[in-house]
Amino acid sequence: MIIQKISRILSNYDNILPLFAGACAILAVIALLSLPLPYFEDQLYPKQIVPGSTLNPYDRGGPPFTQADIRLQYPQNSPTAGYVTAYLTPFSLFLSRTTMYMGTTIVAHPGGILDEILYNTRGLDTVVEPTILFISFAIAAYIFHRRED
Amino acid sequence: MNEIGGVPLFFLEFGDIVAYFSPFTLTLFLLALVFSVFVIVSRPERQIDIAFGADAFFAKEISLPELRFRRFMAIACGLACMGAMVTGDVFDFTLFVSLVGICNVGIVAAVRTYHVQDAAYQYGLVALAGTVPLFSAAAIVAATTGTLSMLELASPAAPAVPLIARALLVLGVMGEGMAPFYAAKAEMFRAPGAPYVIMCSLSSLLIFLRVTEVVLLL
Repeated sequence: MIIQKISRILSNYDNILPLFAGACAILAVIALLSLPLPYFEDQLYPKQIVPGSTLNPYDRGGPPFTQADIRLQYPQNSPTAGYVTAYLTPFSLFLSRTTMYMGTTIVAHPGGILDEILYNTRGLDTVVEPTILFISFAIAAYIFHRRED
Repeated sequence: MNEIGGVPLFFLEFGDIVAYFSPFTLTLFLLALVFSVFVIVSRPERQIDIAFGADAFFAKEISLPELRFRRFMAIACGLACMGAMVTGDVFDFTLFVSLVGICNVGIVAAVRTYHVQDAAYQYGLVALAGTVPLFSAAAIVAATTGTLSMLELASPAAPAVPLIARALLVLGVMGEGMAPFYAAKAEMFRAPGAPYVIMCSLSSLLIFLRVTEVVLLL
């Protein structure tokens, strides 16, 4: 009987969003009550902001054309890690020397700064993220286009 | 390592993201793969409506563009599922799960029936809301343990993942896959085009099976 009632409420799709939002709210309250959570100091991907650096916040250190020392989970999987941010194209080098905004042009121009962690060692994430974006574009485009026919 | 899904048979390395194939994940991966192949080769069903009081019936035709789009979405959903089944990284898992959620909405959003579109809109909102607990779980895991690799987190030496992170992860997956809301998904199944629509429920079942392993592994 009770399952029948629950099933009847759930079968109306208008009830799902309030129900889910309620569950999210309850869990958010529990999460707030369980604060403070311990912060693990020994982070795998540490990031320090160097105020003077023009490559901020993608400055992983190291002189150009030599390998920088970067922390990785599986160093054996990324033998070339540390070379990416150490290399800048002439235009990128020019930008980094004349402006403070090199870090904001991650992939905005050819040979722009590439974050070692973001685009090299965790490259699969970078592939999946635009895939999500493109799939949602495809859905939006299809629905918008269909309205005309 | 805490081998809840069996001993990993082999590893596929993408830098720091390592996909692992244990008997459990390999089974789920093969299930997603086989169903994706079915979706590619099969033709959509044609629903028949019987008219009451008359000797008549209507067959619902699916236009070629709609068929193509829904097949594309179903294949994308299958690929996202395969990724979510084998990935060994918490953040990567959440990304694949949200991709599954969006593909699910895409499969039903292509249907021209009013009530199916209405349902797809509601599911889209739930999937949208589900990303908040999903990604906050990944963020909490990263902050409290310092790593995102499931293989590292499964080792006994790793710092404990707080219970709230697991709860948020499960809630996020519930939102993306709408796993406990099968009663409401009836609207989805009423949509014409059988193999594509079943991809929705299969994918949510698979990601739900996988998240149980992830939660027990952490």
